[in-house]
Amino acid sequence: MYRYDAIDKEFLADRANEFREQVGRRLSGALTEDQFKPLRLMNGLYLQLHAYMLRVAIPYGSLDSRQMRRLAHIARTWDKGYGHFTTRQNIQFNWIKLGQSPDILDQLAEVDLHAIQTSGNCIRNTTADPFAGATAEEIDDPRVWSELIRQWSTLHPEFSFLPRKFKIAVTAAAKDRTAARVHDIGLVLRRNRDGELGFEVIVGGGQGRTPYVGPTIREHLPAGRLLSYLEAVLRVYNRHGRRDNIYKARIKILVAALGRDEFARQVEEEWSKLESALADAPDTELARIRGAFAPLNFETLPATSAAFDAAKAGDPAFARFARNNVKPHKKSGYAIVEISLKAHHATPGDASADQMDVVADLAGRFSLDDIRVTHEQNLVLPHVKLDDLPTVFAALQAAGLATPNIGLISDIIACPGLDYCALANARAIPIAQSIAQRFEDADRAELIGELKIKISGCINACGHHHVGNIGILGVDKKGEEFYQLSLGGSGQEDASLAKILGPGMTAEQVPDAIEALVDTYLAIREGEERFLDTVRRVGFAPFKEAVYADAH
Amino acid sequence: MPTLIRLIDGRYEAADDVFTDVADEDVTPPEGAVILSLARLQAEGDGLLSAGRQVGVRIQSDEEVEALAYDLPRLALVALVFPKYRDGRAYTSARLLRQRLGFTGEVRAVGDVLREQAGFMARCGFDGFAPADGASPAEWAHAAGRFRHVYQRAADARAPVFEERASDGL
Amino acid sequence: MKAITANRLIDGEVVFWKSGQWIERFAEAEHFADDDAAGPAAVETARGQSTVVVDPYLIDIVEAAGGWAPVSYRERLRALGPTNEPTHGKQAEGGAGVEALLAATGAARSTGRVDLIRRK
Repeated sequence: MYRYDAIDKEFLADRANEFREQVGRRLSGALTEDQFKPLRLMNGLYLQLHAYMLRVAIPYGSLDSRQMRRLAHIARTWDKGYGHFTTRQNIQFNWIKLGQSPDILDQLAEVDLHAIQTSGNCIRNTTADPFAGATAEEIDDPRVWSELIRQWSTLHPEFSFLPRKFKIAVTAAAKDRTAARVHDIGLVLRRNRDGELGFEVIVGGGQGRTPYVGPTIREHLPAGRLLSYLEAVLRVYNRHGRRDNIYKARIKILVAALGRDEFARQVEEEWSKLESALADAPDTELARIRGAFAPLNFETLPATSAAFDAAKAGDPAFARFARNNVKPHKKSGYAIVEISLKAHHATPGDASADQMDVVADLAGRFSLDDIRVTHEQNLVLPHVKLDDLPTVFAALQAAGLATPNIGLISDIIACPGLDYCALANARAIPIAQSIAQRFEDADRAELIGELKIKISGCINACGHHHVGNIGILGVDKKGEEFYQLSLGGSGQEDASLAKILGPGMTAEQVPDAIEALVDTYLAIREGEERFLDTVRRVGFAPFKEAVYADAH
Repeated sequence: MPTLIRLIDGRYEAADDVFTDVADEDVTPPEGAVILSLARLQAEGDGLLSAGRQVGVRIQSDEEVEALAYDLPRLALVALVFPKYRDGRAYTSARLLRQRLGFTGEVRAVGDVLREQAGFMARCGFDGFAPADGASPAEWAHAAGRFRHVYQRAADARAPVFEERASDGL
Repeated sequence: MKAITANRLIDGEVVFWKSGQWIERFAEAEHFADDDAAGPAAVETARGQSTVVVDPYLIDIVEAAGGWAPVSYRERLRALGPTNEPTHGKQAEGGAGVEALLAATGAARSTGRVDLIRRK
């Protein structure tokens, strides 16, 4: 993992001091709320319905156990004993007091954490493959490039007041676990025919009010030219992105308005004027960062484990966990363990302080001190020995963290919705809970297979409903919460936008509608077809008929 | 008249503003240094410059500094307007003036200019500041110098962290 | 009828106006008739208290079974706390005022909260 050096640490200390001073000026009246709001947002502090909410950055979703323990400590000391992991691989605390927020930033800085650029119209935390450094699928380590982007984008003097927020994703695997095609910039590492490392550059994807799957503007950018190319894209956007209408200010609108070719031409023209020696990272710095992510000291182990096999044979619950939550590792004898934060009665993405401590402890003992957060609001222990899986499972089970539902119907993404968020129109959490409870039968969930439900409480789409196999959008219809279903979305490498199925429905009708969709799928699926594949093959007609025959 | 702060040899100092900022609806004063809009500069600039007057131009955030390329060597000042604190286009304009167009005169931040932007502005090449929040030169310097390290190259002379690290390693 | 609400600056707590004071329980909030100029006047006064509260505004309230409640569902949630965690927020205290809010049903119109994204 990348370790902050004295320079990184001094930077965070300076930032915390700056914020303490700004809070002081606000409390004394020297700053008005209008002046203070952009400053607190730049430190991830929102004023929500019940309290302030602090969004802490987890750069590219990577944490060590010391940092996880500190998050638990913050949850216990300054919040109500829990935190909420988000679709941007960050964590939010829902019950924060402004007066205490400078102390929290100090506590975070002590363990190399911060809230820099977790809000505001700037370059946000970079999304990266949560299996980085662990999966055999990757052709390079996306964390190297994500860390490079973190440093380059931190308090960028030119790009901190963009037309709107800006999100970058980096992945290096064929299977996309970052939703790269619905980011402002998606970077997919590839090797060209000559074996040279480069990025496919996708620009102008996004969700929100006007969703787009982003077009590729460059098939192969030499990897070493990344920062200059990002500078060119950001400069074109900073100059020409719309600033007259907040709903049209994201880069996707600019790309769509200009067209992919013209946007790409403007970027290339700007890029041609940049001097690589000034705009790209020096090879020495890249090598230093790469060194920090050097392969860990994996043991040489056999590909199979007697302890693992015996536990699978002897304990059906463990076998189920192994089927759904354990993924292959690039090193023989190791596995990637996904920890579901989607227990059927829990709030999606929430973890209690005690649970965070358990995960920290397990990471320290069994996962080379490495923890990841996924954009699907789960956690990952990326490097667990097969031999240790039964022990890890038992500990997770004792902490209520062993729900064996990764990628299944109850592994639902949901934004905080109207229960917490000042922007929401409807609740999302109780909808997720009602669906998860309806599909609590684990055999049935496995029979259904991969099915991604994503729920947003408003059109800003923090719950990724546009890329749900089943997307659910909460709306305010004549003063009541209503839910609009859409089908056929995917945020993965086969990205597509979900389309609205039909008229909205009440919260109570949603689980029945999902049940009708699932029953229809089970009745007509062919072979190994996933839900998404069936929808793509047959279209909406049978699903529509099932839902609206049942619901009305 | 708002305080004017200049960045000279790394120090933030109060400065007298010798320029008259001429609004488009006003007539150009008969003598002294003036700041004109881009349109007025194109109409009147040649005459004023040949009369030996100091001339600056006021660039709105939706105007492109490339339009100045021909005039720049003769201009004493470019004032970049921040219509709102959140409008970040002038940062790009400043960097292009310094790094692409080689402008060496004063680049002044005017409009909704608050001390929280001081560090960003200095890094992008601004060396004149007309704070709307009444910040003193000392307060401005404090805000601009808040961070001991910077992560990227920009239009100023500050060494980014990777250069600091490289020299530490020597 | 109307009441006045805001979030307290120092901790973000939802507060209500009562005769020049800010209190935490909706049940104790001062009520203003819809056409009573004292309501908007109090909001103006509250806006002047920028080191005490953030963004004071009027909300519509109705008399429901057991007591008064905000018309808007959003405002009921603010007066209670999140529905997914019944022990968090004001609802944890229980009592008749909370019961009345929990029992309130019917039109849940979002009043005076248009263009929310701008308010972030």
